Amino acid sequence: MAKQEIKLTVNGKIYHLEVAPNEILLNILRDKLFLTGSKYGCGIGECGACTILAGGRSYLSCLIPAVAADGWEITTIEGLAKGEELTPLQQAFIDEGAIQCGFCTPGMVMTATALLNENPDPDEEYIKDYLRGNHCRCTGYIAIVKAVQAAAEKQRQG
Amino acid sequence: MKNFNYINAPDLPSALEALAKPDAYLVAGGTNALVDIRAGKINDRTLVNIQGLTEFDRITLQENGRIQIGALTAISKLAASDLLAEKAPALYQAACNFADPLTRNSATIGGNLANASPAADTAPPLLALDAELLLASRFGERRLPLQEFFLGVGKTALVPGEMVLAVEFMPNSFSSFLKLGLRQAMAISIVTAAAALSLDKEGIVREFHLAFGSVGPTPLRAYNGEKAVTGTEFADPEVIKQLQEAVQLDINPIDDLRAGAGYRREMAGVLAKRAILSAGREVGQ
Repeated sequence: MAKQEIKLTVNGKIYHLEVAPNEILLNILRDKLFLTGSKYGCGIGECGACTILAGGRSYLSCLIPAVAADGWEITTIEGLAKGEELTPLQQAFIDEGAIQCGFCTPGMVMTATALLNENPDPDEEYIKDYLRGNHCRCTGYIAIVKAVQAAAEKQRQG
Repeated sequence: MKNFNYINAPDLPSALEALAKPDAYLVAGGTNALVDIRAGKINDRTLVNIQGLTEFDRITLQENGRIQIGALTAISKLAASDLLAEKAPALYQAACNFADPLTRNSATIGGNLANASPAADTAPPLLALDAELLLASRFGERRLPLQEFFLGVGKTALVPGEMVLAVEFMPNSFSSFLKLGLRQAMAISIVTAAAALSLDKEGIVREFHLAFGSVGPTPLRAYNGEKAVTGTEFADPEVIKQLQEAVQLDINPIDDLRAGAGYRREMAGVLAKRAILSAGREVGQ
């Protein structure tokens, strides 16, 4: 199995990596770069726990061959906060109690970040629809939707 | 140990050359391919990544009035297209209901068709719009009506080494798509229906195309249903009843874990009615 060299920019840092053709991007992030915030949930694109951002859009990193991500600029959950300073969305998840077991939280926050990039003034229906690919098995959806609304409002107020 | 090779095709000629090898396995958005790799359904293959073929990642309104969508166009792009919302609402609505926003960012229209799932959401709208596929292999290009493309579950008319380049159709603003799933998010459909309609000034149906998903081994055109409606007055309740009976001849649903065949038959009739009324409402009826 011929390994290929790829270049990834993850959270602003450049990495040159040797990867096998069937290795998924998620496992490279977790096992090679030790960025374990992105979670391996289902591995088949059903649960959203592995969500990352590339070019401002949300992607399921369990369905992307690492070789196909050559040259990508990626943001993972570890890349959102500036040092100790959380993004308004991360803070809102804490303030609204939108975290229970926490397994879905990184993916949820990444998708919600993409949501707020696209639409700074989302209503409840829009949020529910946008987050429908991210599953929370603690079923803490109400608090999650509230957190996104709170973050949107804070963002609008500047 | 799983064994794979990988080729990143920078352009169409190199993609077609790579695909000509017997072990080639095409990867675009990866939403089907990676699931199959993980499940061990494919092994010892050379993955051919065609994401670099950016000329097939676009929606164009051509001079001849037809809309062409490149095979690599992501579903999220269809769901954000004002052109499709206005001129092909059936396809637009299917894109807006497709899986979830995450999957839509990766999944491509070419992959959704070539994967040939009976439940492929973009297939019924494109069948109703009488779409045509542009296919290519190392030996040249050809065109194929979409209704001749699906041969069975996961089986298409693609010959080895051939790939879908684009799909093309005449716009029809009077078209609609409806999906019945077990829940709203991430649902594989129980039944989908798409209709495309043209009415004359007197409100007579001049042309009517109806297609279903998930009620047979392939997405399918409902020719008997179409015949029952063509030439009649739009929205005549008697005709709608005949339509609902006629589509029973077109479909061949199975029992599976999502629904029974009987329920699918019942719902195919209901969706046929809703699809035609929804397509025609745009005319001001």
